[in-house]
Amino acid sequence: MTRAIRAALVAVTATLLPAASPADTIKVGVVAPFSGPFAIYGKQYQEAVETYVAQHGTTAGEHEIEFIYKDVGGPNPDQSRALAQELLIRDQVDYLAGFTFTPNALAVGPLIEQSQTPTVIFNAATSSINKESEFYLRTSYTLWQVSAPLAEWAYDQGMRTVATTVTDYGPGIDAENAFKAAFEAKGGEVVDAIRMPLATTDFTPFIQRVRDAAPDAVFTFLPGGPPTFTYTKTYNENGLAEAGIKFLGTAETEEVNLQGLGDAAIGLTTAYHYSGAHDSDENRAFQAKLTELFPDAIANWASVGAYDGTHLIYQMVAAAGTDGPAAVEAAKTLEWESPRGPVKMDPETRTLIQNVYIREVARDEATGQLVNRETGVIATVGDLGWDK
Amino acid sequence: MTLFLNILVDGVAYGMILFMISVGLSVTMGLMRVVNLAHGGFALLGGTFAHWFAAELGLPFWPALVLAVALTVALSLPLERVIYRRIYGFTDLQQVLATIGLTFLMIASVNLWQGSSLLPVPLLEGLKASVDLGFRTLPAHRLMVIAAGLAVVLGLWWLLERTRFGIRLRAAVDNRGTASAHGINTDRIFMAAFGLGAGLAALGGVLGAEILPIDAYYPLRYMVLFLIVVAVGGMGSIAGSFLAAIGLGLLETAARYLAPDFATILFFALVMALLALRPNGLIVRAQ
Amino acid sequence: MMNRIAPFALLALAVALYFALPYNLAFLTRILIMAVLVLSLDLVLGFAGIATLGQAAFYGAGAYAAGLFAIHAWADPIAGLVVAGVAGAVLAFISGLIVLRAHGLTLIMLTIAVAAICHEIANKARDVTGGADGLRGIRMEPVLGLFEFDFVGQTGFWYALAVLAAVFTFLTLLTRAPFGLSLRGIHESPERMAAIGTSVYWRRVAAYTLGGAIAGVAGALSAQVTQLVSLESFSFTLSAEALIMLILGGTGRLYGAVLGTLVFMFVHHWAAANDPFNWLFVIGALVLAVVFFLPRGLVAVPTALKRLGGQNAGS
Repeated sequence: MTRAIRAALVAVTATLLPAASPADTIKVGVVAPFSGPFAIYGKQYQEAVETYVAQHGTTAGEHEIEFIYKDVGGPNPDQSRALAQELLIRDQVDYLAGFTFTPNALAVGPLIEQSQTPTVIFNAATSSINKESEFYLRTSYTLWQVSAPLAEWAYDQGMRTVATTVTDYGPGIDAENAFKAAFEAKGGEVVDAIRMPLATTDFTPFIQRVRDAAPDAVFTFLPGGPPTFTYTKTYNENGLAEAGIKFLGTAETEEVNLQGLGDAAIGLTTAYHYSGAHDSDENRAFQAKLTELFPDAIANWASVGAYDGTHLIYQMVAAAGTDGPAAVEAAKTLEWESPRGPVKMDPETRTLIQNVYIREVARDEATGQLVNRETGVIATVGDLGWDK
Repeated sequence: MTLFLNILVDGVAYGMILFMISVGLSVTMGLMRVVNLAHGGFALLGGTFAHWFAAELGLPFWPALVLAVALTVALSLPLERVIYRRIYGFTDLQQVLATIGLTFLMIASVNLWQGSSLLPVPLLEGLKASVDLGFRTLPAHRLMVIAAGLAVVLGLWWLLERTRFGIRLRAAVDNRGTASAHGINTDRIFMAAFGLGAGLAALGGVLGAEILPIDAYYPLRYMVLFLIVVAVGGMGSIAGSFLAAIGLGLLETAARYLAPDFATILFFALVMALLALRPNGLIVRAQ
Repeated sequence: MMNRIAPFALLALAVALYFALPYNLAFLTRILIMAVLVLSLDLVLGFAGIATLGQAAFYGAGAYAAGLFAIHAWADPIAGLVVAGVAGAVLAFISGLIVLRAHGLTLIMLTIAVAAICHEIANKARDVTGGADGLRGIRMEPVLGLFEFDFVGQTGFWYALAVLAAVFTFLTLLTRAPFGLSLRGIHESPERMAAIGTSVYWRRVAAYTLGGAIAGVAGALSAQVTQLVSLESFSFTLSAEALIMLILGGTGRLYGAVLGTLVFMFVHHWAAANDPFNWLFVIGALVLAVVFFLPRGLVAVPTALKRLGGQNAGS
């Protein structure tokens, strides 16, 4: 925090402040939805943070670390900002984390800029957030980061024509732009670019239109939950796979809702930075600890974003304590082996440089569960959307 | 031509799903005149029970469906006794508040019991197949919903127009005092009608789950959709709801085929135009 | 009696809360802004009897108008309020011309449709509004050129409180003026008012337009304090929550609107902080309890207490 703000805070709160916490405890405020239709994100974050803490203890360097969770309820920038203010002023946190939705992350921008608070984004995937403040760091991914490599891979596999069907809102349009730019740069052709209304319940019209256009593949981007469920079912039931139109997606087959998709999901191809089935000791250790602590938990991109975010916070605290700017500097050179694979912080975009894997949904013979089976690394990239 | 046929087939199939999920509301809100925002809650209960029976207890689809509907009706009857019976006489706004409160409790209960992720109801293998229509295919479960919708609309018509129950219900709704004076047990009639509405909600929730998947927040997510169908159809008219559902299904499907970019604006603008031109709905029930 | 004491008691409560919760000023400010929105709904629904579930349309219009005005024209807060009020009023007037010809459920559905169309337009006009990412880059000048928006939120709190007090006073005067009395008359018996030569339709349009202006002001406050506007300001949830708060507090009494907002948001804040996963149980039970035991809303608490918890008022 800047001296001016500290001074202002002392002036306001001098008489009313509760017994100050010991100087060696550093607090981290996690702003995420813990109620409402998106409560699953908050739950995933908290479980992953607690898994990391269980593995690595509550101290980083010289300092004790404590996490405080706040419920933002959903996409609600007013609430997000109010909670961040409360965390910074009353709880005196030195780090912020969480942030599922882009507007919620953007709403705290002016605050963290003033208080110089490193803010680790566990999810919000719009590239330009990190341009609003030097203090944003991101341990998830950006839409360009996974969509563009997928387009290049599709071309290399011999696909020449693709139809895109994306949900008509910010993230969907980003994904469409990324895919289209990369695919056309290679020489492929996007034969139809359909933007589907946010409130779509029945996807049949779009799927039929794609079927009639008969491209080599259909690329899609959908918000998680009901739309993904309905879209993939409709894709299957209308026989697109049999007609040779391959499904290309990103987050659609994420692990939490994957079992719900059922056998219809088998064969769906996605490009993404994390699969629960990633074959590494780090991933196995992470999942073993996670399910030991929370027997019903399923690791997905939200958990791994929070898990790596926690790692990043531990490293920053160990390196710089409460000094925000120094912490961000220290974070810029970090690299480590994450459950998702090797990752490295990009000093310019403050988003992870990471592997993007091509995966296909299959039924695991040992457990009988559906998994995202990685068939290869298709790129190791940073945030490709930074300059767009 | 293919495009036209596509719109027709998909529009009717989608409209029938709209009808199935909102027909229960046209019974409770349309016939019984309760602003029943908890309609989606009963659909949610039906869907959750079906998920529980089929996915967790391993029952086949049909028994799971029947049990889920029966269980929802069984739950709705005491609710009618304890809560709804007292709110029939409330003002519209109080009914809104009461049924919203009830919806919150239903959501919270399902959330506590099953969590907030999707609750899929596994379909029969036969229903997953595609049926060849000549120029294209259609998933079998859509045909099943179309058949179910037709059966429900005929069944309700028979029940309300051709049976003593229907005559008594309409008498009780129009003038409760007079109906009681004529020896009709209005309490029991209302309870039966409410159970019917809840059962239809549950049935629609399960059959529509392929398009409107069940999760704890289902009642809030689709509340506007249910209300639109009933408002456009006209309060108290099953035939109106049926026409409205098919019409809206065709309209929305056509908009998605022809102008996907503006489908939402087009849809709401047309709904506005319809409601502005026919403020009492497509079919106004004769008083 | 209550009508005179309650506003001052609420004002005193707001000042007391400022000193009691100095670290939660952002939360308190959100309550104040929400109270302005709920007051606008009270005028429309409680006084003019127009049942609407689309008040967020005007809140959102005001928020985007204030945000865009601050970014592209002038970042003065008060000017922003005026622009937002006009934006809310214009949208309410135009949509009111169509919407207010209907009644009951049809009217409710029409208001929902208006808000849904606004939501979709803001989503489509991504170049202007930022779409789902939100409208960013709002940097306000000091209020009246004197009070800079500070980190802790003191300026935001007093600014929102001043606007709320001004709106409250305005509505108090309005509801006692002939216009307000005629609205009440329309609410109670439209036929009689029509018979004595009052144009029911135009009075309702006027009330709806005024309500739109006030909702627009509430939206502007939120845009200026948060420095970001999102599509959620048009959401059905916001309209529905405002309605719940109003009925909770009691319609047709201005202090009921403020009280309902205060109680709802405090219960929400408290329940969400303690057990977010299950907070809907608490709010659902609260809502049901009010309908059954206090059918006229929380404003009836003193009367109910006087009767010493006598008969259930709900039947």
